[in-house]
Amino acid sequence: MERAVPLAVPLGQTEVFQALQRLHMTIFSQSVSPCGKFLAAGNNYGQIAIFSLSSALSSEAKEESKKPVVTFQAHDGPVYSMVSTDRHLLSAGDGEVKAWLWAEMLKKGCKELWRRQPPYRTSLEVPEINALLLVPKNSLILAGGDCQLHTMDLETGTFTRVLRGHTDYIHCLALRERSPEVLSGGEDGAVRLWDLRTAKEVQTIEVYKHEECSRPHNGRWIGCLATDSDWMVCGGGPALTLWHLRSSTPTTIFPIRAPQKHVTFYQDLILSAGQGRCVNQWQLSGELKAQVPGSSPGLLSLSLNQQPAAPECKVLTAAGNSCRVDVFTNLGYRAFSLSF
Amino acid sequence: MSSESSKKRKPKVIRSDGAPAEGKRNRSDTEQEGKYYSEEAEVDLRDPGRDYELYKYTCQELQRLMAEIQDLKSRGGKDVAIEIEERRIQSCVHFMTLKKLNRLAHIRLKKGRDQTHEAKQKVDAYHLQLQNLLYEVMHLQKEITKCLEFKSKHEEIDLVSLEEFYKEAPPDISKAEVTMGDPHQQTLARLDWELEQRKRLAEKYRECLSNKEKILKEIEVKKEYLSSLQPRLNSIMQASLPVQEYLFMPFDQAHKQYETARHLPPPLYVLFVQATAYGQACAHMKSSQPPRQDKTLSVAIEGSVDEAKALFKPPEDSQDDESDSDAEEEQTTRRRPTLGVQLDDKRKEMLKRHPLSVMLDLKCKDDSVLHLTFYYLMNLNIMTVKAKVTTAMELITPISAGDLLSPDSVLSCLYPGDHGKKTPNPANQYQFDKVGILTLSDYVLELGHPYLWVQKLGGLHFPKEQPQQTVIADHSLSASHMETTMKLLKTRVQSRLALHKQFASLEHGIVPVTSDCQYLFPAKVVSRLVKWVTVAHEDYMELHFTKDIVDAGLAGDTNLYYMALIERGTAKLQAAVVLNPGYSSIPPVFQLCLNWKGEKTNSNDDNIRAMEGEVNVCYKELCGPWPSHQLLTNQLQRLCVLLDVYLETESHDDSVEGPKEFPQEKMCLRLFRGPSRMKPFKYNHPQGFFSHR
Repeated sequence: MERAVPLAVPLGQTEVFQALQRLHMTIFSQSVSPCGKFLAAGNNYGQIAIFSLSSALSSEAKEESKKPVVTFQAHDGPVYSMVSTDRHLLSAGDGEVKAWLWAEMLKKGCKELWRRQPPYRTSLEVPEINALLLVPKNSLILAGGDCQLHTMDLETGTFTRVLRGHTDYIHCLALRERSPEVLSGGEDGAVRLWDLRTAKEVQTIEVYKHEECSRPHNGRWIGCLATDSDWMVCGGGPALTLWHLRSSTPTTIFPIRAPQKHVTFYQDLILSAGQGRCVNQWQLSGELKAQVPGSSPGLLSLSLNQQPAAPECKVLTAAGNSCRVDVFTNLGYRAFSLSF
Repeated sequence: MSSESSKKRKPKVIRSDGAPAEGKRNRSDTEQEGKYYSEEAEVDLRDPGRDYELYKYTCQELQRLMAEIQDLKSRGGKDVAIEIEERRIQSCVHFMTLKKLNRLAHIRLKKGRDQTHEAKQKVDAYHLQLQNLLYEVMHLQKEITKCLEFKSKHEEIDLVSLEEFYKEAPPDISKAEVTMGDPHQQTLARLDWELEQRKRLAEKYRECLSNKEKILKEIEVKKEYLSSLQPRLNSIMQASLPVQEYLFMPFDQAHKQYETARHLPPPLYVLFVQATAYGQACAHMKSSQPPRQDKTLSVAIEGSVDEAKALFKPPEDSQDDESDSDAEEEQTTRRRPTLGVQLDDKRKEMLKRHPLSVMLDLKCKDDSVLHLTFYYLMNLNIMTVKAKVTTAMELITPISAGDLLSPDSVLSCLYPGDHGKKTPNPANQYQFDKVGILTLSDYVLELGHPYLWVQKLGGLHFPKEQPQQTVIADHSLSASHMETTMKLLKTRVQSRLALHKQFASLEHGIVPVTSDCQYLFPAKVVSRLVKWVTVAHEDYMELHFTKDIVDAGLAGDTNLYYMALIERGTAKLQAAVVLNPGYSSIPPVFQLCLNWKGEKTNSNDDNIRAMEGEVNVCYKELCGPWPSHQLLTNQLQRLCVLLDVYLETESHDDSVEGPKEFPQEKMCLRLFRGPSRMKPFKYNHPQGFFSHR
């Protein structure tokens, strides 16, 4: 019967364009608000979307509550990294770091509070900022395309120090909680340990030179880093490896072929994600505890919402090569996805 | 103690009882009363408490005396009688006292009652008075509010504002010195002024009426004059015919066409009128050329007029403006007796076209012509169109371009979603059910496509909510859609012809980049297109790397599907292309699969995903000069460039011996950037280097 034939969705020019844009969207960064109820996600078009975790997780959540509360154009280029202080959201990507007030972001037409550009040596291309890291004494460390770590005083907004050493661009940063030391991992395949007091490089681990973790066909780059006291886990081109920092020796090599793009310690587990649909959970011994599939073909960032202010929103969110942010209410399965 | 009390009592007794004995017998009644009253008065003087004491005492005495008498009696004896006597006397006295006390008590009781009663009456009286007063107060208050709320008629009258009043009203009405201070007088004055004004306006109204009457009469006279003009004009027309022929001015021919047009069914008539009007408007805009010589749009009527005339005679005397659903009703009822005959006949009857059709020839800039023939299906009350494209030069038809200019698909989805496969008239479905037609799409090749825009050009609009409502051809609807539709038709034909041309080259492995788009690409592109073929919709759906597009709803069955293969050395890049009929305003969509050191698609390689994004999302920079018909070619050339960049920047695996297969020739600022290690896909034109987006 003619009536029964389903209507082909009439797609006009703008609808097709929007569909294509969503299809080719990559979410690079996530950050949870200080109140723990909102999640900011930044994509490759320079947009930041704010999702309300509390309404998406509430019992009367509808499809609409999985859509962003507000979306705005934050940068011209991709938003590679975001962190939240107790009042601000700091976002960076195309060579600039911008600060947004959490309290005002939910309103339409939000303007950035301030914007700063680290002092780059001039080049044809503005170097990108791949990682932001909040360190004690109200400072921020930026690292990315110019192979340097810039420290910025958040009080005054001035750039105080430059840490040089990497020979290629920097992918990731991690802070050692107890001693004021920062780790950085980059495209050159080295993990460097910096003492913040002296601004000196104190240790270098060239991961790809260790035969057990080197994988030359994937390249040498270090894509992700995480630390926990004397332990460090890093991955990327070389295999995902757990290191003992004081002795600079690899202790566990995790058996996964795909390059990993994000890794984090969680209780007595290590969570990692990268190419492939799954969030991997590892025992420290190197045993794969679980692989939880998400909805994106590749993951770039994980975010654990552990804000004590919102215990009901304690979730793991994962985002990557799609317009969706997967939400895991427990580590066992994907509950639902937030979507741009 | 007894003696004391008896002493006390005595004078009383004497006063009360003894008085009549002592006093004169002839005392008047008043005296009697006085005596009576005296006892009453005595009540006032005596203390009730003491009386009570006395009463108690007397009773005790009596008890005692009785006990003694009893005692004496039981003892017996001579002198007992005397003693008993004495005691009896005493007890008699006590009884007297008791009696007296009893009387007093009665009197007191009565008095008390009287007093209470009196007091109660007084209270009642006061209460009544209070009630009266309260009622009066309430009544007064009500009166006051009634007064306050009183609405006067004058409040409803719209008065001119105070300033205006003082400015315009004559002083004998406004009396400023009196009214300024007194609002009451002021209001009265304003009302006076209002009355005055209204009187004047009424006067004016009457004047206007009489004026109108006069003008009407004039019009009447002029009309009479005009009607007398008609015969004279006719004779002039007759006389001018030879002159027209002599001067080749085909007014009459046009007139004849209009005559034929009278027999068109309403929707075709609307289309004819609107298209002719649009064609003339277009022709007039090019004022340099003489009108009717080089027309972009020409309209003609085809078919037999006699048949059309015959069609309207049997049911009724030809009534052109009558809506067709009535005629349709008429016919079905007429047909009913022959329902038993074959279903096929009925179907044919239902799908019958009006004998007249409207031909529309739309000429494009490059002399290709789009021939549109519009038909009207009488019983279904819808219009259909058949399209044909003729080109100035003979075209070599590439295999892959088969569907591009076919009458079946050339006009598909002119507006989003309008694929012309099903009837736009919701009422038709019920008619189809009767004769067993499943869907109109089986008949469109023969009948033409019932696109929505065709209905709109014919002024037919089918509201979805009321399918049964009679639809009447509407000129304004047709007029509002004519221009956009004609423009769309033209762009469609041009873009199809452009695609046609591009496909001819693509099939031979040449990506025909035009000179004005050359700046989008570097001079040296090594990757080559080696294959360009059409694929069926089903085959496209089954490809393993097109799932995203299918899921996003971008792979409808109205699209055209192609497969391109780009090669460089051992690397083979497959690209599945979805070509929307709305090309080039809607871009072709590419999905890639690279076979080189394993199979790479968007799900396992971020850079393949980025390459797709480059051609699909950033297509606007590839459009080239308007109307961007070169988009497809540019996208394919861009893919070749992207493949070059991808292969040349692939990091060399140190463990593998030998030189790199693809040495880096492109100038790149950096090889990788960002967390997903993007390659530098963006080409910077004048400098010729590649950078990241």
